[in-house]
Amino acid sequence: MGAFVLALAGAALLAQWLLWLAPGDPVDLLTADPELRAAMVERWSLDEPPHVRTLAFIEGALTGDLGVSLTYRPGEEVAALVWRAGVTSAPTLVLSVLLAVGAGVAFAYIGQGWTLSRRAVQALSVAPVFLLAATAVVSINEATFYAIEAGWIARPSWFALPLGDSILKSALGVTVLAIGSSALTDVHQASDDELRRIRRSGYVDAARARGAPLWPHVLWNLVPPLTTITVSRTAFFVGGLVVVEKVLQLNGAGAMLWQACRMRDYPLALGLVVGAAAVVCAARLVGDVVRIGVDPRLRA
Amino acid sequence: MRAATLAGAAVLGVVTLLWGVSLVSGYDVTSDVDVTRASVGPSMEHWLGTDHLGRNVAWRMLKATEAFMGPALLALVIALSLGVIGGAAAGWFGGVVRWLIRYSWTVVESLPRFVLVLLACAIYGSEVWVIAVAAGLAYAPNVGEAVFTRIESFRRAEFVLAAEAHGVHPLRVLTYHLLWVNCGRLVARHGLQLFAYFLLLETTLSYIGGLDGAGSFGVPQPDPSWGNMIAFEWREPEANGWASWAPGLAIWAVIMSAVQVAEGLVEGADG
Repeated sequence: MGAFVLALAGAALLAQWLLWLAPGDPVDLLTADPELRAAMVERWSLDEPPHVRTLAFIEGALTGDLGVSLTYRPGEEVAALVWRAGVTSAPTLVLSVLLAVGAGVAFAYIGQGWTLSRRAVQALSVAPVFLLAATAVVSINEATFYAIEAGWIARPSWFALPLGDSILKSALGVTVLAIGSSALTDVHQASDDELRRIRRSGYVDAARARGAPLWPHVLWNLVPPLTTITVSRTAFFVGGLVVVEKVLQLNGAGAMLWQACRMRDYPLALGLVVGAAAVVCAARLVGDVVRIGVDPRLRA
Repeated sequence: MRAATLAGAAVLGVVTLLWGVSLVSGYDVTSDVDVTRASVGPSMEHWLGTDHLGRNVAWRMLKATEAFMGPALLALVIALSLGVIGGAAAGWFGGVVRWLIRYSWTVVESLPRFVLVLLACAIYGSEVWVIAVAAGLAYAPNVGEAVFTRIESFRRAEFVLAAEAHGVHPLRVLTYHLLWVNCGRLVARHGLQLFAYFLLLETTLSYIGGLDGAGSFGVPQPDPSWGNMIAFEWREPEANGWASWAPGLAIWAVIMSAVQVAEGLVEGADG
């Protein structure tokens, strides 16, 4: 828990310092109005020395006050905006992690020892998220257009992607995020290696000799290494979320971060960055708890 | 050596060669526009056809290597030097030095790399050099942690104790016996992974930036990037398919090649 707080506080401060180290005053980029400028300088404590600003930021963050949005939704509380966007994006993030882990383990379990299966999963999975998303969108649109033209189906309500909201588009987002940028291949290769190791171990031989089913032993022992790999990939999934939401025009924290950065809405961008760091740190904490829960040797 | 590693190395070699050709070619991205030959298919004159402004896709593909090769090298220098120095110091000295260095890595790794790069672009401008520096800094903890683990595991190894007992200078033990002999492949592997990551990062930013239009991130038109070339053609109704498929395939092939060569560098993969 201490490590969680230290890492999160460090990440929040790093993001703040990035902004303060920028040449000139960030306020100069936002407004030329002297009155508004003075108000912003005071609001962000920009006239104070760095350690005072840091303390002011920590005090604000601890009370849930991350300031107000400047250009994206002027005047709205950043904390509320980040929370709403985070809740919108959470299902995509969680489902894609679960899909990557589930599919990775399933492929490893079924295709045990086949170099070909390993290579095929890797070939698909190293493609960037944006490339997979764009290819999927074009392929689905082209195939559907052909089917409509041929008179096989009526025009579906979601046509044409990525316009409008639909279950298909959200499912596509989850799938692309689970596969792309090596997410799937990492889980698949880790599971494959672990399965080979576990199947050679003494307790599996013992279970086999007793005639007991093997999969409970195998799967239970997969939990610690899979937790490690999932936790280490969480940051990639969060980063990938920005890409998926932008390319597929989904609403959520990722798309909001892109817009906040583009519109130089620093308080909102910092709030979202702190939120992303909180997700990564929380995943680390949960990972530690799971590993300690599963592996009694770590409790000593 | 594995066939996949050799093939990967060949692709990376070709890309490096194309980058060299691009640097000396003098191809002008702005004067190539000619709408009378818009969206034509491949021919002897235009090997990959033209885009919807009539620009030569093959030349733009070649020129686009400049968008990532130079910056990727900068990112490599930053990440590898910071990672190796930090990892070596943390593993060699231990104690407070180790705690401080590893804590700083944990902090950087708590911020997703893509998010950190996006924030850096928002603050410092979206030039590709900013992306390179941000990516290098964000990737350094990966290299550092790997080097640290290796150095720490060998810190009390018999060959290190023997070298010290023979009066070899500690700096030579660290730099030659530990880093050069035992971490060389490890660092090279991370370098290749960073190269693949940087290409992914640059093309992703340029693709989304290309869809977004002016004032966004990544390489802006008319300068070519494999990412913005796809974004530029993707939604054109009568587009020449090669104008978007060729950069897409190139991105995939180069990333896959870097990953294959990196895998070939895993100790023991030769046998």
